[in-house]
Amino acid sequence: MRGLDVLTEFSMKAGHKIEPKKIKIDDTTLRDGEQTAGVVFANDEKIHIAKMLDKVGVHQIEAGIPTMGGDEKAAIKAIAALNLNCSILGWNRAVVSDIDDSVECGVDAVAISISASDIHIEHKLRKSREWVLDSVKTAVDHAKKYNLYVSVNAEDASRADMEFLLQFARTARDLGADRLRYCDTLGILDPFETFMRVKTIIDIVGIDVEMHTHNDFGMAIANAIAGVKAGATYINTTINGLGERAGNAAFEEFVMALKYLENVDLGIDTHLFRDISEYVAIASGRFIPTWKPIVGANLFVYESEIRASTTLIDPKTFELFGPEDVGLKRKLIIGKSSGVHTLISKLGSLGYKIGEKEAAELAEIVREKALSLKRALFDSEIIDTFNSFIGTGPVGADSKNKGVNK
Amino acid sequence: MIVEAKDRKINIIDTTLRNGEQAAGVVFSKHEKIRMAKMLDEIGISEIEIGTPSIGASEREIIKEIVASGIKGKLFTYTEAIPENIALAVECGIKNIIINISTSDLHIKVKYGQNKTWVLNQLRETIAAAKHYDLNYIISAEDATRTDLEFLLKLLHLAQKKEAYRFRICDTVSRLDPFRTFLLISTILNTVDFPVEVYNHNDFGMATANAMAAVRAGAVSLVTSISGIGEGTGNAALEEIVMALKYLENIDLGVTTARFREIAEYVAKASARAVPVWKAIVGTNVFAHESGIHADGVLKNPINYEVFEPGEVGLTRQIVVGKHSGSHTILHKFKEFGIELTINEANDILAMSRSMSVDLKRPLFDKELMYIYKDYEDNNKKI
Repeated sequence: MRGLDVLTEFSMKAGHKIEPKKIKIDDTTLRDGEQTAGVVFANDEKIHIAKMLDKVGVHQIEAGIPTMGGDEKAAIKAIAALNLNCSILGWNRAVVSDIDDSVECGVDAVAISISASDIHIEHKLRKSREWVLDSVKTAVDHAKKYNLYVSVNAEDASRADMEFLLQFARTARDLGADRLRYCDTLGILDPFETFMRVKTIIDIVGIDVEMHTHNDFGMAIANAIAGVKAGATYINTTINGLGERAGNAAFEEFVMALKYLENVDLGIDTHLFRDISEYVAIASGRFIPTWKPIVGANLFVYESEIRASTTLIDPKTFELFGPEDVGLKRKLIIGKSSGVHTLISKLGSLGYKIGEKEAAELAEIVREKALSLKRALFDSEIIDTFNSFIGTGPVGADSKNKGVNK
Repeated sequence: MIVEAKDRKINIIDTTLRNGEQAAGVVFSKHEKIRMAKMLDEIGISEIEIGTPSIGASEREIIKEIVASGIKGKLFTYTEAIPENIALAVECGIKNIIINISTSDLHIKVKYGQNKTWVLNQLRETIAAAKHYDLNYIISAEDATRTDLEFLLKLLHLAQKKEAYRFRICDTVSRLDPFRTFLLISTILNTVDFPVEVYNHNDFGMATANAMAAVRAGAVSLVTSISGIGEGTGNAALEEIVMALKYLENIDLGVTTARFREIAEYVAKASARAVPVWKAIVGTNVFAHESGIHADGVLKNPINYEVFEPGEVGLTRQIVVGKHSGSHTILHKFKEFGIELTINEANDILAMSRSMSVDLKRPLFDKELMYIYKDYEDNNKKI
């Protein structure tokens, strides 16, 4: 637990002006997204996803790992050959032959990845810090021979000793690398620590920083935003947050959070978000939860009486942006938490009129039905219930409208 | 004064049974609600919201049964600030309630067609009714994060004067990020010394991060739901909050986390919503490793890619063979099958496995790996 003084200092610094033009999205759906256990994209799907990302205005696409060879290499070549507006990046270990494979694919940018934490250096690489820095040097020198844009990825940066991380960043900068990717590989940062660490790197070393965050504790987006507040200019996202384990920062969530919470509009075409999400969902064999932030099918579906009836009057009461902004629709459903006003409005949209007093009685019947069925009702069920209510309804029910569908 | 993390006690009040069920399309049966309340109680959640008495007679019957089911923790019901509603909670045998009222100008205007004075009066009258029945009550400010700060502080002073149990700040439209959360909560607590809890929504994927930021700022209680189930994008997920407190903030609540997966599955069944395999903390994919680098790292030492052991949340580790696997994974897998491969054999089998995985668009089952091995052996015999 950090002292409050640090936090106060941080709150003073936080939220400095972010320049929209400087923030760039580097999407890794095709690399980290596919790398997660169980997901395999077909090459045609990869090409289609790359085109969609370019169309909405992503700045860079991490297209895959060229050194895997075979189909993977073929897909990256094909994507590089599309001549999209965005930059195409290949992922590499800090190994010369990996970079040769990237060059062969025709990408204009490479990420050179190596662990920066002692835990990884000791338990995974079984090498030394010097070996790590030497590998970075050899790899970056090699990549720069081909005039490539170079990102040096500090894997497991969050568990790295800060002094060494600064040395790592300085090495990258002095070799002429274009940016440092800060990888919160295990998703163990919180936004405050993210802010402090990233700000320290930027203040001391002065290199462009990219955020690569994971969602293991549900903080991928918050940490990405914290990175931007600390001065990071590149964000590594994936559609739907697809990625290793609990996934990465979701592209659609990051773009909308920046736009609506931080007032920074990246100029991305958000209207296609639902479309892209659906495509990636199908290609990855993973459903979109109906409650998924930004693109879930249920986000603009209202059932409970207070929310539904208030939203009908003014959507701003419960929405910061409208469904049309992300390719969704607003909808009213009738279920266990519905009440009089929701019911009147729903019946109205189906072409039926009902008075407030009758609606109160009908609402009770409808709620019982939803309880016994354990779900919301279909439109046809609502109409059925309405008709039998009117048919057997109490004296005073508006018989003029009996079963009339206008 | 800085309180040491290990000495801090953060309260959890779970709303799976109330706001969780309010999610569009979700209906829990009576038995499911009782079971979930018991599960929460058993793992050590000391406060549970169990429903909204004003919804109707059937809801009240369920609430009564939960009250009678012998749960140790405090049980709360929820109500809008309507004085007549209080008797409904009392009728159910409830001792603790949440009195909710919208506090933002927009909500006051659109939802109530009223003004701030009306809100204050409504709240005062409802509090009087609650006091009449000797109820313990939380005051909940809906849309608090779009509320004029002066007015919010006025309500906090009222809560303090009337000896409310706590004050709830609702981020109804997910207006907060962690930094704004921190500033808001610390500003409030610097002005009014009163126990505050936060209620987060996940519209921008920041519910958990915002809750943690509130804790840092001095909030003493968090509202959660299992798997984050709730209206719209849902709330802060109980399992994420408990684990983030433990591993990121060093605050161990002593919750029986080993039952997290089981409970998430139960709620998934009851709500007819699957637990996504990638769900933070309890998704089955969280401890599944396929890619060469990750799997190799985990096989050398799980500390490379895992913060806690899978058993801690009721999951198991899986090494998956697929397109991104490396030769170490193959060596390891076959060792498990009792077959020692040479590195050359492993490389050959890896190439075959990868191409099969690309063809099938999925990772391979253990059986399929054995078929590949058989084919490989047969081919070698021929040569």
